[in-house]
Amino acid sequence: MERTLFGFIWRYSKRQQIVILAMTVISFPILYMTLELPKWIVNDAISGSDFPKQFMGYELGQIPYLIALCCVFLGLVILNNAVKYFLNIYKGVSGERMLRRLRYMLYNYVLRFPLSRFRKVSGGEIIPMITAEVEDVGVFIGEAIATPAFQGGTLLVYIVFIFAQDPFLGAAAISLYPLQAYVIPKLQRRVILLTRDRIKNVRVISDRIAETVNAAADIHANDTSRYHLADLSDRLFINYRIRLAIFRRKFMIKFLNNFLNQLPPFFFYSVGGILVIQGQMTFGALVAVLAAYKDLASPWKELLNWYQNLANVTVKYQTVVENFDVDDAIAHDKLQGSDTASIELENTEIKLSNISVSSGGSGLAVVDVSLEAKDGSHIAVYGRDGSGRTELLLAAAGLLEPVAGRATFGGRRFEELPHTVVSRYLSYVGNDPFIFNDSIRGNVIYALKTKPQTRLDQDDASDEDIAKIRHNEASLTGNSLLDVTEPWEDYERAGVESPAQLDDRLLQLFSLVGLEGDLYRLGLAAHLDSDLDSAFVDKILTARAEVARRAAEDKNWAGLVELWSSGQFNNSATLGENILFAVPSDPTRSVWDAANDPVVRGALKDAGILEMLVEMGATVAETMIELFADTGADASLIGDHSFVTNDELPLFEQRLRRYRQKGKKAEDDTTKKKKKMGLTEEDIAAFVGLAFRLIPGRHRILTLTEEQEKKLIAARAPVHATLEGNSAYALFAEDAYIAPLSIEENILFGKPRVDRRGASDRIDAFLRDTVNELGLREAIARAGLNFEVGVAGGRLSATQRRRIGLVRALVKRPSILIFDAVADGDRALMSRIVEAGNGHTLIVGTADPQVAKTLETVAVMRDGRLVATGGWDSVQQIAIDGASVDLEKEAS
Amino acid sequence: MSLDSDAAALRKIPLFRGVDDQKLRLLAFLSERVRFEAGENIVVEGDFGDTAYIILSGSADVMVSSPQGEQLVATVKENDFVGEIAILIDVPRTATVRATNEVTALAVSKEHFFKLLTNFPDMAVEVMRALAHRLERTTREFSRLRAALTDG
Repeated sequence: MERTLFGFIWRYSKRQQIVILAMTVISFPILYMTLELPKWIVNDAISGSDFPKQFMGYELGQIPYLIALCCVFLGLVILNNAVKYFLNIYKGVSGERMLRRLRYMLYNYVLRFPLSRFRKVSGGEIIPMITAEVEDVGVFIGEAIATPAFQGGTLLVYIVFIFAQDPFLGAAAISLYPLQAYVIPKLQRRVILLTRDRIKNVRVISDRIAETVNAAADIHANDTSRYHLADLSDRLFINYRIRLAIFRRKFMIKFLNNFLNQLPPFFFYSVGGILVIQGQMTFGALVAVLAAYKDLASPWKELLNWYQNLANVTVKYQTVVENFDVDDAIAHDKLQGSDTASIELENTEIKLSNISVSSGGSGLAVVDVSLEAKDGSHIAVYGRDGSGRTELLLAAAGLLEPVAGRATFGGRRFEELPHTVVSRYLSYVGNDPFIFNDSIRGNVIYALKTKPQTRLDQDDASDEDIAKIRHNEASLTGNSLLDVTEPWEDYERAGVESPAQLDDRLLQLFSLVGLEGDLYRLGLAAHLDSDLDSAFVDKILTARAEVARRAAEDKNWAGLVELWSSGQFNNSATLGENILFAVPSDPTRSVWDAANDPVVRGALKDAGILEMLVEMGATVAETMIELFADTGADASLIGDHSFVTNDELPLFEQRLRRYRQKGKKAEDDTTKKKKKMGLTEEDIAAFVGLAFRLIPGRHRILTLTEEQEKKLIAARAPVHATLEGNSAYALFAEDAYIAPLSIEENILFGKPRVDRRGASDRIDAFLRDTVNELGLREAIARAGLNFEVGVAGGRLSATQRRRIGLVRALVKRPSILIFDAVADGDRALMSRIVEAGNGHTLIVGTADPQVAKTLETVAVMRDGRLVATGGWDSVQQIAIDGASVDLEKEAS
Repeated sequence: MSLDSDAAALRKIPLFRGVDDQKLRLLAFLSERVRFEAGENIVVEGDFGDTAYIILSGSADVMVSSPQGEQLVATVKENDFVGEIAILIDVPRTATVRATNEVTALAVSKEHFFKLLTNFPDMAVEVMRALAHRLERTTREFSRLRAALTDG
């Protein structure tokens, strides 16, 4: 990568820079003409004589001549601005393309970093480099050559003009330029150094923030938030100091520049004045020189700005690039997947001959180890953490280059083989595989996404256009030409033909690693939204019917659940669900949020139950105030149990007062109907919201009479009529799948009775049976594949993450499977993997003797050396006793 | 079925006799109303429980297991407090309580009960008083029994 900014600019945007320069040159005469023409208009047309005049072959009188000149002027103005517009766009496009290229190159370097480098640089430092720091570079690139050319040219023209008037005054005008040219770069150099410091400091800040995010639990556990605050505060102080120093110098430069620019007029007035008085110079010439000098200031200032900008951007470019252009980067063609299919390996044996692996620090993690993995052999690398086990496995997988010795795969050194070839045969799972913020399925089929697959059906033309532009832009900026939107999953690699088959295969693998139960549970809680498979929905509805049948037949069962039924009130559900007979489509919104929706309130009003609900809400508010505010309960009690938060309590007191007052007044007027008129829409929404939260069976705040229940149920039909087709709500119906409800809730289609202890557990058990009977279990587990795992798999346990990593390794059917500590503590899992393997080589890192026992050969690692190899029985003595000797040594 | 009636039921329990009306309503609000079918176990001997029940209607048998099988030691009915020891200290249930007909009860969880006690110290004092009464009664009973034993 080019070490200097101009090297980079010249190499990748030569043509654009020349075009920009050419257009700038073209704009000169136009600009000149727009300045010249007004003179003609004034001198020739307005105060001129001897009309008619010749104009483009026509004889024109004074006024037509004036109009004609004005039209030409207008035309020039338009042309001038059009050129400017075009030039700006062109500059912007060139700058953006260069920025894109730069960012892409930097990112590409990140991918090429050898693994050892990631121990030294953190994401927190790299992110601002690729995103924020190079931003200015892109803006600058468009100006890089055009600005000095344009402003420099202008400046030169003015200087020549002044010299032409009077060489002495000309010399006076530029007399201070050498001084400026000497002093300003000196000051600027200091600014450059400070800018470097500032950039590095900001990187540290960014790194600290990233660390804080990752270390949140430890920070709270150790109560070190004050330390971190002080640390960041100190960093910000340093930042402030640096910035202040930069400001000072920057404005000092500006000050010097302004001051030195305003000095020459002193000479003009004094020396020029004397010359005029003595008659050695005309008065007009002096005025002209003064005017010209005034014009000199603007391009000079622009040039200075450009110079400062250049200095700033150059520092940024250099401080970024020096971090990426590392000597030990992985060769570019090792990552490129193209034309490597030609490399065929005769076998897939891994052979490590006398290798040593660096530990990242000064020492060696693996010392002089030889190990051979023949096709189909099962090897355990047994050793404690820090024994060199992990590094040995990384070297065996070709991920860590040995500092001495030879690591070969299929008879060829790993260094010679592109990643495509290695990964085609070999899967590696580390102790803590990275889980992406995606669904479980996405995380697993990640292993199949090595290159885009040719798609069978061509897309329609509209898509084609944008694809063409995308492709074009990518090739213009040296970016990746592969289309991320194309299907990347390589089904052939997984040995399947369709997505459905792939899912089957995934479920098999998940059973193999013992995650099937987890998938099923995740599936039950899953929300299916977009791609509803009608066969699956049918099954769910069948299960629902089964539940209903059971409830009708079995009295015990009926006592546990209250099923939804369009004509019946459900005491175990909220009033909101009961009335709307619907839930918001967004599962994160609760049903009482619906009270804030004017559409819903309108529907309630039309159904004639709005007043009743407001009254209920008022009763609830009253009870809450009585129970929580008047008793002086503390915030924790209120927070956990009250419908109204601590902050809202006073608000509701006011609302209630308004409501009751209006009520009294209304009663006086004997027009009870106007009762709620004193309330704002917001008040009504708040009261209805409270009423909506009420679960009559649990919160015994008010008792619904049968008549009231009937009235509420009767409101369902008109409410449904209003909400029909409203995408914000999913309406309940016995024969429809309700998307915002989980699969479990859809099957049950009702609520566990609130007045029954342990109803939920018994319902769970029953659902499990029903689901199994109907053969739904697999389909639900499949839905579990869509579970979104959160940032870095944060919503999964560490074991789940490791096992997903294992499935990811298995799905591409490797000839060699290498994994580290994934099966520790689970011998059954290890045996299943050994049994399921159809002749593939296994190399398993482990610290668990039970796992090591399962494999035919055990290589024992200690202190970076291979101390024994053989069957477990033969090495057991050394492996176990050696370890205990070590422990004793440590203890003493 | 309302807070008022539940609060009234709580009032009849000696443990809560001296507690403010309002606070009893709060306790009633925090507790759940539950229903048990005839023959269903309300609490099971040996289980660790975190809930006490105040029976609102129906009746239940209190059974203690012995080498001769389960033995009926008492029956409980409306306004009786069942399993209150479990919400005060962590001990396994000392007896099984089985509904003899349909029972409705108010379930008071340990968590809510203690929250109320920490919120309202005067309530804690009342509870302490009630417990002291019970201790005093038990001690007197115990001395009477011992006296009877030594006499006999």
